[in-house]
Amino acid sequence: MAEPNTNRMAVRRPSVAEALDALFDPSTIAVVGASRTKGKLGQAVLALLKSNGYRGKIIPVNPSGGEIEGLAAARSLEEIDGPIDVVVLATPVGVALDALETCTRLDVKVVVGVTSGFSEAGEDGHNNEMRLRRIMQDAPFRLVGPNCEGVVRPASDLQLTFSPMFNGLRPGPVAMISQSGALGGLMALRLGERGVGINAIVSSGNETDLTAADLLEYLGNDPQTRVVLCYVEELRDGRRFAEAAQRLTRAGKHVVAVKGGRSRAGSRAVESHTGAMAGDDRVISAVFRETGVFRARESVAAVDAVTALAAGRRPAGNRVGIISVTGGLGVEMTDLAESAGFEVPVLDEATQTALSRYVPFYGSVSNPVDLTGVVLANPTYVGRCLEAVAADPGVDIAIAIITFVPDQQFIEALAEAFDSTGKPILIVWTGSARSNASGEALRERAVPVYDSPARAASGLSALAATTGEVA
Amino acid sequence: MTPRETLENWQRAGRKVVHEADSKDLLQQIGIPVPKRDPAEGRCVAKLCHDDYPHKSDHGLVRLGLSPQEANQAATEMAERFVGGTALIEEMEEGSVAEWIIGCKRDDTFGPIVLAGPGGILVELIDAAEIRLAPAGPQTAEAMVNSGPGARLLAGLRGAEPADKGALADLISRISVFFAENADLISEIEINPVMVRADGKGLAAADALIVLAPKANEQENLT
Repeated sequence: MAEPNTNRMAVRRPSVAEALDALFDPSTIAVVGASRTKGKLGQAVLALLKSNGYRGKIIPVNPSGGEIEGLAAARSLEEIDGPIDVVVLATPVGVALDALETCTRLDVKVVVGVTSGFSEAGEDGHNNEMRLRRIMQDAPFRLVGPNCEGVVRPASDLQLTFSPMFNGLRPGPVAMISQSGALGGLMALRLGERGVGINAIVSSGNETDLTAADLLEYLGNDPQTRVVLCYVEELRDGRRFAEAAQRLTRAGKHVVAVKGGRSRAGSRAVESHTGAMAGDDRVISAVFRETGVFRARESVAAVDAVTALAAGRRPAGNRVGIISVTGGLGVEMTDLAESAGFEVPVLDEATQTALSRYVPFYGSVSNPVDLTGVVLANPTYVGRCLEAVAADPGVDIAIAIITFVPDQQFIEALAEAFDSTGKPILIVWTGSARSNASGEALRERAVPVYDSPARAASGLSALAATTGEVA
Repeated sequence: MTPRETLENWQRAGRKVVHEADSKDLLQQIGIPVPKRDPAEGRCVAKLCHDDYPHKSDHGLVRLGLSPQEANQAATEMAERFVGGTALIEEMEEGSVAEWIIGCKRDDTFGPIVLAGPGGILVELIDAAEIRLAPAGPQTAEAMVNSGPGARLLAGLRGAEPADKGALADLISRISVFFAENADLISEIEINPVMVRADGKGLAAADALIVLAPKANEQENLT
């Protein structure tokens, strides 16, 4: 084999890890398509990057130069001195491809292609797609997207996206990979509202270069990551994705996945039964189960699952203790828990005795525990009862159900109960919008809080999967 | 000739669906038990195997419960009607307690997979089949015979004798390894049914089919 030509500047494609290391903690970011015009993608990217507090160097790139968002703009990428960690492409497709070609001559580690108009655009995008692939064939950098919503890393105050759905996230244990930007936004916003911390979010778009499997491997290996949430429509390297997922779940981490897109069942099997029996959707479910991936049926159920897993507590078994300020919600939670395969056993006698100090004669101290509205008289009672149920040796998971909350102390007591135990605790709070209390103490601790028993049951199922057949 | 060379020869000869008799020869080479051939006594089954007619019973190419002499006669008669076929006379499997299907194919997303579940007429209960990535190691194969509704059938429903799950798991693992190693040449293998005998007594592949992958140059033309 011939020796590579080393006379010229070293032209080497960075590894996935090198590229993503640079992407998630960049010192220099160039935004191609940065603009003063409100409503343009490039304007939004630049504005969000600034307003979310990114402290590295931002260089707007715009042919008219001057100053944009208070930053000195370069007229072209070539005008920029020195290495650029990340180039964001937020222009119409023709300009974006020209800029991408320019990047091959510069010292760039990774390009984030927000621009659309490639393979997803059918016939019209075909030529663009061909040119894109030609450029990427021996490009000395890696590409996220194109046709993606960008990248978010709260710990680096990094907000490389035009979408405000990712604003205000706190750092934490959840990594997200989404082939759909909008579904990524939906899930991020809801996780953020619950106080679930985010390690990184990558909208992977068309995955021309970096795929969901690459990202899963990288983000999963990050010690900060406890749960990886994936929205995928087409797994281009499914085998590698499955193998990466299996390594993570064996290491005690969690992968929650939503598979979008219609399944084609047994389309080509004529000679055998095997093809008909192993239709795409059944194979996906089977392989996810085998590799320890929790398959959620849609994005909100995935958020509910991740919320439970992000708290980082594994149940020792499937016995659930339920306390509720109302009988009805306790009954519904019990029904849902039992149909998801959990037991709601009679509580230990000592627990019942402890509870009977708070519960009036018309309540119930067995399980589900009906505290009745009387407990609202003292703001710490529900917290004390939750502590008692969580301490019961016959309970693996405790659930507290509350409706409207009269004052703040009530929530603080629940947070204390959460701190008093290592067992998973879920809270169903049906009336947070009608309460004179902030949930901040719960969000701070990433206590899983749900607005209905059904959504808590989605979280419960994810916890069950962690005790299932996965070794 | 190694099993792989056999597969290559078949592919070179332009075969697509490899009939039961040849498929079983190959399976036997990789350690999968098949029924005894050309027995001198006992009840027999006579079949005419032909690449063009994989669904034998649809064409009257399976005769059950014959004496060895009757089987010979039936085979000769079927061979005259379907030129180019191979006659197969085997001992009838009568001591089995469960019929299972084992299949391997290449999935578009995940590559080689293996499937195992209740076979014969129960194949239509599609949700009962267990699917895993291939190759499936011994532990995975063991999990496959111990999971899902099929596991209860194998354990013996309502006092029925438990089936030889160990032999079944061994077959699953064996065939999935063979398939994964040769998935460039094979697009599907199916054994349906495997007659599983009572625990400790083994099993036999009563019917089998190998579907070869198109040759490399033909695969290009497909896309």
